Amino acid sequence: MKNIILLSILIPFLFVSDAIAFCGFYVAKADADLFNKSSEVIISRQDKHTVITMSNDYSGDIKDFAMVVPVPQILQEEDIRVVEHIIFDKLDAYSGPRLVEYHDRNPCAPVYDMMALESVSAPSKRNASADWAEVEDEDNYQVTIEAEYTIGEYDIVILSAEESDGLERWLLDNGYKIPTKASSVLKPYIRSDMKFFVVKVNLDNQKMMGFETLRPIQIEFESDKFMLPIRLGMANAEDFQDLIIYMFTERGRVETANYRTIKLRTDRNIPEFVVDDFGGFYTSLFDKAYEEEYRNAVFMEYAWDLGSNNFVKCDPCPVTPPSITDLHTAGVKWVSRNYQNNWGGSDYVGNVFMTRLHVRYDRSNFPQDLFFTETPSRENFQGRFIMTHAAKGVIDCEQALGYYKQVQNRRENEMEELAELTDWDLSDYNYYLKEYQVKIDKFNKRREMNKGGLGISIVMLILLSALSIRLERSSRKYN
Amino acid sequence: MRSVLQIPINFRDPRWFQISFLSFFLIYGIFFLDWEMDITRYLVIFGSAIIAQIVCTYFTTKDYSSIKSALISALSLCLLLKTNLYATAVIAAVITIASKFLIRYNNKHIFNPANFGIIATILLTGDAWLSPGQWGNSMLLLFIIGITGFAVLFRVGRIDTSIAFISTFFALEFMQNVIYKGWPLDYVLHEFSSGTLLLFTFFMITDPKTTPNSSKARIIWSVMIALLAFFLTNWFYVHAAPVWALVISAPVTALLDKVFIHQKFSWT
Repeated sequence: MKNIILLSILIPFLFVSDAIAFCGFYVAKADADLFNKSSEVIISRQDKHTVITMSNDYSGDIKDFAMVVPVPQILQEEDIRVVEHIIFDKLDAYSGPRLVEYHDRNPCAPVYDMMALESVSAPSKRNASADWAEVEDEDNYQVTIEAEYTIGEYDIVILSAEESDGLERWLLDNGYKIPTKASSVLKPYIRSDMKFFVVKVNLDNQKMMGFETLRPIQIEFESDKFMLPIRLGMANAEDFQDLIIYMFTERGRVETANYRTIKLRTDRNIPEFVVDDFGGFYTSLFDKAYEEEYRNAVFMEYAWDLGSNNFVKCDPCPVTPPSITDLHTAGVKWVSRNYQNNWGGSDYVGNVFMTRLHVRYDRSNFPQDLFFTETPSRENFQGRFIMTHAAKGVIDCEQALGYYKQVQNRRENEMEELAELTDWDLSDYNYYLKEYQVKIDKFNKRREMNKGGLGISIVMLILLSALSIRLERSSRKYN
Repeated sequence: MRSVLQIPINFRDPRWFQISFLSFFLIYGIFFLDWEMDITRYLVIFGSAIIAQIVCTYFTTKDYSSIKSALISALSLCLLLKTNLYATAVIAAVITIASKFLIRYNNKHIFNPANFGIIATILLTGDAWLSPGQWGNSMLLLFIIGITGFAVLFRVGRIDTSIAFISTFFALEFMQNVIYKGWPLDYVLHEFSSGTLLLFTFFMITDPKTTPNSSKARIIWSVMIALLAFFLTNWFYVHAAPVWALVISAPVTALLDKVFIHQKFSWT
């Protein structure tokens, strides 16, 4: 199979002059919101310096939006900013599991028509506003407002607290709808000397700016701990939540230190009909893998060396790899602009490694926050699924039977892979296996008929010859 | 080489148990935990460890029964150390074995070979790492490691070391995280059902050759490792802290052996 793919990849380069002929480029973009209740986070970390960008799929009334994030230190105004959501869309499209399509050449077509097309597509995947209530007596709450900022459409306070009940009361008295069990979840963070980054929407600014949805918030700080607090979000959630983490580090791949990080199923051949629902296919694959891994694994969906020394930034590329602007927006500040004109290279200089992790967490299977560790491994990995389309058009030559059998075998293998990877009901797709069996049977029948036809023709020929000889003889007699 | 072939296989030697249990964990990891089936890396580690052991033994004791120990060290490296480079795998195996012969005091090697090999390789090469999360937190695995660990420890008489370490470490973590910080109990249970910690507790810290000879000394030593691991975990955020704590505490064994005099351990 590998050879076939390699050949297919090479062909477009060998027949560059014919490139214009194969413009049937198909891009299947699965719709957004593949995964319900999902959030996305970008973490860029160099030594102890950490930049976290958070995007929530908050769908309720904007005025009810509020977010409480434990942070290791009091953040200054310049450590907080609002970024455009497009950075998440770009990173998602670049690093998401991809569908690579190949098209068989017609075995009966002349060689110059031998065109294989590789196209790549990716599915995209997809939490009381007024001014702060006047705190009557801060000492009662044992909560200190360390800082207050209005940044973009958000009002932000940085709180430190002595005890969790006070913090819980402060939040409730300030109009935050926090879950009833929140205090027990807040306590460990207070005891860990963490501060609380509390956000709500400044409705005036939001109206003035005219944004319909809430833009992601980015914070940066220095911390020895390489972690992401997920426990707070589980206080009111019984069900699981999906979280996609885009990780940028200098040295190498990131994995979770306190949970098992495993690679996503990849490099599998899948049937042609999946093209209509690649998003659905991937969701089903993830659901199944999540169950098979006892619901407590973290999935690595992508890992790639984006360093300026690595010229292959993806293979194949569903979209353009991140540029220096994207990297700077994502908090990767250690790369600098490359002013040299090196064709095909990066527009930045520096070492960057990107890891994309997908976590489906719930209270019972994820009792701890996510702790990460950066490894020295710069090994690339991608979630890649291969689809090979059967040749189109009239197939009418001696090679046809061999080709039909090859497609039939391939389809049988693809269906086995699909059954292994997903929970799809494959009985709906029996036609997929029958299609080429029917062609094989037809071909054989025709061949037999042809054989029969040949026999009849020979007999007829003999009879005709005999008849003509006889007629000739009898005519001689008369003469 | 003749003497290598003439080793009488003594199945009472607890090292055979260790070899079979550690091999089982490796197979379990590959087939049930989706570890990469990098057979070449495993072969490189085994090959280098055995060759290094034969070479070192040839120039020293000429007792080739010690190859079993090399197999155990190689298995520990396969189970704990990750690297993408074969050269690093060779370095790890050679450092591991060589440390037994080179870093000695009072006729006893100071460091647990695999432990020293792992830490030295990480620090020296910069392209090897520990993957503490790789075992997941399966209760079945916890049970199997526990049972097989006790089976070996009964034979070598090092249950005191394991129990002293794990109970001190658990008590400290429980006080810090559940009583002081207020995390629910499953926060700590999650940490203690980690395959890396259990493997360390039952198969690494208990190496009879590098633990103090006297039982009292071993308990003091284990408590010390637990304290150190606790500080490294909670104040320095070191993952797989016990592995680092052991390498730091190893030289204390020599001191404890001087204070608490007891007969030295022998495998047979």
